[in-house]
Amino acid sequence: MDGFTSGKGATDGAPEELKTGTTTVGIVADDGVVLATDRRASLGGRFVSNKSADKIIEVHPEAAITISGGVGDGQTFADQLRAQSSLYETRRGEDMSMEALASAAANAIRGMRVVPLLGGVDSEGPRLFELDPLGGKMEDTYGSTGSGMQMAYGVLEGGYEDDLTMDEAEEVALDAIEAASARDTASGNGAMVARITEEGIDTEEIDAEEI
Amino acid sequence: MQGNSQQQAYDRGTNIFSPDGRLYQVEYAREAVKRGSPTVGVRFEDGVVFVAGGRLRSSLQVAESIEKIHKADDHVGVASAGHVADARQLVDVARRQAQVERLRYSEPADIESLTKEVTGYIQEFTQAGGARPFGAALLVGGVDDGGTPRLFETDPSGTPYEWEAVAIGGNADQIQGHLEAEYEAGIDAEAALELALRALEDANEGGGLNAEGMSAAVVDDDGFRELSPDELSDTIAGHSLDDEPEE
Repeated sequence: MDGFTSGKGATDGAPEELKTGTTTVGIVADDGVVLATDRRASLGGRFVSNKSADKIIEVHPEAAITISGGVGDGQTFADQLRAQSSLYETRRGEDMSMEALASAAANAIRGMRVVPLLGGVDSEGPRLFELDPLGGKMEDTYGSTGSGMQMAYGVLEGGYEDDLTMDEAEEVALDAIEAASARDTASGNGAMVARITEEGIDTEEIDAEEI
Repeated sequence: MQGNSQQQAYDRGTNIFSPDGRLYQVEYAREAVKRGSPTVGVRFEDGVVFVAGGRLRSSLQVAESIEKIHKADDHVGVASAGHVADARQLVDVARRQAQVERLRYSEPADIESLTKEVTGYIQEFTQAGGARPFGAALLVGGVDDGGTPRLFETDPSGTPYEWEAVAIGGNADQIQGHLEAEYEAGIDAEAALELALRALEDANEGGGLNAEGMSAAVVDDDGFRELSPDELSDTIAGHSLDDEPEE
């Protein structure tokens, strides 16, 4: 469809694949969604190939994904989703709902080696979806993906509550990234956090010492 | 009869030249464009305005359903004259291509390449067998990445033309005459809109303009913006171009 959905995964089992390693976290708060990731990219999880990787990518003026898995597939997936949402809104002259964006994302992701969180805000409020390479789409109020997810989930289970403010959600999200960075060898080098509200997306990079 | 149909064969297929080198189906498509209501595009200092004429068939028709000006991407508008159904297909080609360019190069499509993608598509239908040319002309206008406004016309042969101000559709010659007489380079958006409206009104033999069924849009650094029906009718009335009889 439209030439944007030709998603094709990288070669299976390529040992030197550029991976995000990664810990990514998403939390639904009162006025929006907070996404946070670490900033390390690694070769097969064993060599730090980049210390300032952007793993939060805007796909819509009020929605973004975190990427975990293959860097190339993650970036391509984000580009395709941005093209689809833009085309949707140009054709219809109205905003794309998060439900529609998540469904389009689940269709586009099949076969791509990437496990994203999709967070955004529409007229219904803030929404967070976990996606998987087989096209799975599950909504949640908080979630984590990547090699550091066990550590991150430990923090999220203790720190998440309903109706956190954006500031509180950001604090919990960064605690989760910090815990994962401390124990997961494929996560680290600081954090990136995005606050998504109906006003748009505000992204910030945070050094390792300042988390 | 047999002889007659032989003689006219070049008239029947799009891909058949007449003995004097003409493509009649393409010329007939140009006639189809002239039968529609007119559409005007004017380039100004920082952008492009479009105004499309039109008339409601009935008081029961929903005015917004007459679509002659379309957003193709954040920075590009497309206005049409001729067969609306044909034009809509071309608009979607422009919309898809605008996204393909963004995917491929991570930058907005420039207006000239986008126009040439569309004209390339139109041209294929003048050469392929079994196809009919598009009975629509388009104005493709917008602002390039550097802020330069561009305005192009596409015709049914698939030729792109660039203009400072141009009219397509019914009465195009007369409207073009007005534009040629009155256009000045470096005007602002308001003046460009007024010029387009005056040119349309002039061709209407002083009959005035009725905002119902008409539409207008501006593309500038802030992107594509269609005027609301109230905004358009106020602008028309503000320049005393409306068809309300004087009290």
